[in-house]
Amino acid sequence: MAKVAYYPGCALKERSSHLDRSARDATVKLGFELDELDTWTCCGAVPPVSKERIMNLIAPSRILKNVRDSGSDVLITICDFCYNTLKRTNYSIRTDEIIRKRINTFLADDTPEREYLEKDNSQWVDYKGEVKVIHLMEYLRDELGYKQITENLKRSLKGLKLAPYYGCVMLRPQNEIQLDDPENPSIIEDFISALDAQPVKYPYRTECCGSYLSISSPDASTRLCYRILNSAINKGADAIVVSCPLCFYNLDSRQKAIAEAYQDFKPIPIFYFTQLLSVALGVEYGRQGFEKHYVDVTPILDKIGTSSGKGDEE
Amino acid sequence: MKRIGVFVCHCGINIAETVDVKRVAEEVLKMPGVVYTQDYIYMCSDPGQALVRKKIKEEKLDAVIIAACSPNLHESTFRAAAEEAGLNPWQCEIANIREQCSWIHSNRKKATEKAIKIVGTIVEKSRLNESLEPIPVLIKKKALVIGGGIAGIQSALDIADSGYKVILVEKESSIGGHMAQLSETFPTLDCSQCILTPKMVAAGKHQNIELMTYSEIEEVSGYVGNFNVKIRRKAPFVDWDKCTGCGLCMEKCPAKVPSVFDRELTTHGAIYVPFPQAVPNKPVIDKDSCIYFKTGKCRLCEKVCEINAIDFEQEDRFVEEEIGAIIVATGYDTLPIVDLAEYGAGDIPDVIDGLAFERLLSASGPTVGEVKRPSDGMVPKEVVFVQCAGSRDPERYRPYCSKICCMYTTKHALLYKHRVHDGQPYIFYIDIRTGGKGYEEFYHNAEEEEGIIYLRGKVAKIFRDGDKTVVWGTDTLTGRNVEIEADLVVLATAVIPTDSTAELVKKLRIQTGPNGFLAEAHPKLRPVESINSGFFLAGAAQGPKDIPETVAQASAAACKVISLFSRDHLEQDPAIAWVDEDLCNGCQTCVPVCPYDAREYDEEKNIVIVNEALCEGCGSCVAACPSGATQMRNLSDSQIKSMITASLGGK
Repeated sequence: MAKVAYYPGCALKERSSHLDRSARDATVKLGFELDELDTWTCCGAVPPVSKERIMNLIAPSRILKNVRDSGSDVLITICDFCYNTLKRTNYSIRTDEIIRKRINTFLADDTPEREYLEKDNSQWVDYKGEVKVIHLMEYLRDELGYKQITENLKRSLKGLKLAPYYGCVMLRPQNEIQLDDPENPSIIEDFISALDAQPVKYPYRTECCGSYLSISSPDASTRLCYRILNSAINKGADAIVVSCPLCFYNLDSRQKAIAEAYQDFKPIPIFYFTQLLSVALGVEYGRQGFEKHYVDVTPILDKIGTSSGKGDEE
Repeated sequence: MKRIGVFVCHCGINIAETVDVKRVAEEVLKMPGVVYTQDYIYMCSDPGQALVRKKIKEEKLDAVIIAACSPNLHESTFRAAAEEAGLNPWQCEIANIREQCSWIHSNRKKATEKAIKIVGTIVEKSRLNESLEPIPVLIKKKALVIGGGIAGIQSALDIADSGYKVILVEKESSIGGHMAQLSETFPTLDCSQCILTPKMVAAGKHQNIELMTYSEIEEVSGYVGNFNVKIRRKAPFVDWDKCTGCGLCMEKCPAKVPSVFDRELTTHGAIYVPFPQAVPNKPVIDKDSCIYFKTGKCRLCEKVCEINAIDFEQEDRFVEEEIGAIIVATGYDTLPIVDLAEYGAGDIPDVIDGLAFERLLSASGPTVGEVKRPSDGMVPKEVVFVQCAGSRDPERYRPYCSKICCMYTTKHALLYKHRVHDGQPYIFYIDIRTGGKGYEEFYHNAEEEEGIIYLRGKVAKIFRDGDKTVVWGTDTLTGRNVEIEADLVVLATAVIPTDSTAELVKKLRIQTGPNGFLAEAHPKLRPVESINSGFFLAGAAQGPKDIPETVAQASAAACKVISLFSRDHLEQDPAIAWVDEDLCNGCQTCVPVCPYDAREYDEEKNIVIVNEALCEGCGSCVAACPSGATQMRNLSDSQIKSMITASLGGK
């Protein structure tokens, strides 16, 4: 089976390992395997957006160079933060000559004098940004084709109204990421359609969920999440689809606080896109880790006749 | 040896502050051939020029060098002065010690050294300069105006009124342009059609103007005074000589085509005139929408036309014209709403652009001037106007200010308020820019007396919620986010060059600026000319501008053409390439490198000759010539070599 280099990242390795498992299960059903890197470190998550560039770019650069050295030219991630960090680091290496040279001084085994290196043209520049960083959803859309998913569906999600939530880092900044139009995206909608479910459009799909404010100012995040969820509910959504573990955490776990703060609020289940893919491609029910969710997803799975185990493959 | 005089200008303090001009004069006097030097505070002033003239005579100078600003600015000034004193103008040279020295340096000592070297370089050139005579070129006294909007109409009328022939080419079937779409015009609220249509009719009837509507420029060759222009007359499939414009065919046509003129708020048949006041008032058949052309059946228009004017067999015709000068007045478009993803990307029916709102306000528009929104025809009670939709946004859309939107949005809000008294207009703006006669007063009246709410901030997002269109924006004066449930949203979309401009400039071989608008020769001093001689610019094709400015520029461009035509012949700069017939072996290497098609192969003599009228003196051929047979007049290889030596401080 074809293997594609895969970087899970911290969240999916530990706390959200069920999302990682769903992705691995699902891709096997689609005929390729997510091949986890032999060694990998933290990608740095936030630093690429901060000012002090070089130090923050070293960890992701090392990951990218290792991918290249292992003979792969494509790296798949399923977490929006990892995707953003790795892709933007790679973009900087590709487009900024100074950054490219500096980074390579840190990547080289025997580091030359930095001053010498910045004057020099080629000798010490080893990693030039050759690896292509791809989001799993992007891989499904562009490399495999969403049609392949539709053709391999084992459980139909027909009748489910699913609202995509894009968050902040999957699409921005546009000139570096170039995955979709950040103001009017369609990649998750099209993914939902490929699963035979019905995408729900609502105005808050690209608004902020609060991100790390969840830790420092939870009330702010609660308010933001309420607006997003309520907007989707008002547009008739049965559930929400996300592709970022932090969005997932905020939109799911925050519903406890939302219910306390807003009397009219009714909970709505949250799915990671890999979980839905896993369910739809017929992976045994129970491997998606739905028991870890704060908001119970059983009503949704009942709706499509899944929680009973119907449609599981032998 | 030549007697050279050098005049060093202080340019006030522009040069003298950084360059020790007295020392330059002293040092240059030591150079071979230089017999006289003098510094002066403003050499370009009358006394400065008088000094140059006086010394040419007194010192019996054979050549002068003015060490001053760029030759772009005053070369012609000083050459004229030299000529007055009896010197051949090509014996006058400029040494640029301002733009290329004093303005860009701060170290006085080093700048002075550099200035001396710059002058020394020109001294070397001057020593070998020959006296030249201008090359006379005849002028065809017929103008071509491309674009039949208000700019093109005004230019054509002005030239025609002065007695010269004009061809006015317009790609649509009627002249009028965007101005014909407008309702009232700021700041006086004149009805746009009322002031435009008389001009359209005048242009249509003028004995010196030949209208070529539904036509496009196919090919342009030649040079100033002598252009050859090939024009495509697109087939309208209607014999316009026979057609009386009765309109029966348009009534009966079963096809439904969105009206471009009405910003797709209405439809017309496949055979149509864009608007009732069209000039000429003759219909065309849109081949892509015509049922007969698509399916082979119908021809209803042919059946109802009593004078048999419909002709499905018609084909495009080509006409060739000899032209002396060309005015480019191809106008503007607006950024399509589809491009503005955060404003609904064109999917929300009640988000329209400024031109569509003009049609809603217009007495001859689809709603006969009643403001009704497109989705359901309801009279909107809350209307949000969004300025800078795509303008002043260097990261995502257009970096420049579209200039007309502040004023027309205010006009829109005001006219809306006059039509819907209980309605509430909101205007989101970045800044209000009201530079223009009577503009500030117009805005103040609207803001203070008419109850329009101005909100200083950008709109972040527009989306549909039920039958409302929700607008999210910021009011930066109160620091609050604003949410308005609007009935109608009007976007002041960015003014952009027309699609056809890019293609046309390739055919004309004229330049555009970084934003795709036509580039003028000098932003301040030559604003209506292209850098390529014989081409003049008018209207919004050169940059966003309103009607008064457009008309002024159109008349200015016409004036330039008239001034050109008032001469019997043109004088071409003789400082161009020439071919040494004994050295040229006819290899023709230079022919394809010439960007102006000025090189021709003479089979009989087996040499290449220079078309002096076309040559711009760029020097590409000189660089390409393997045998050194091609040289530039007054910039020969030996001149360049000694100039390089001098610039490096050698002797």
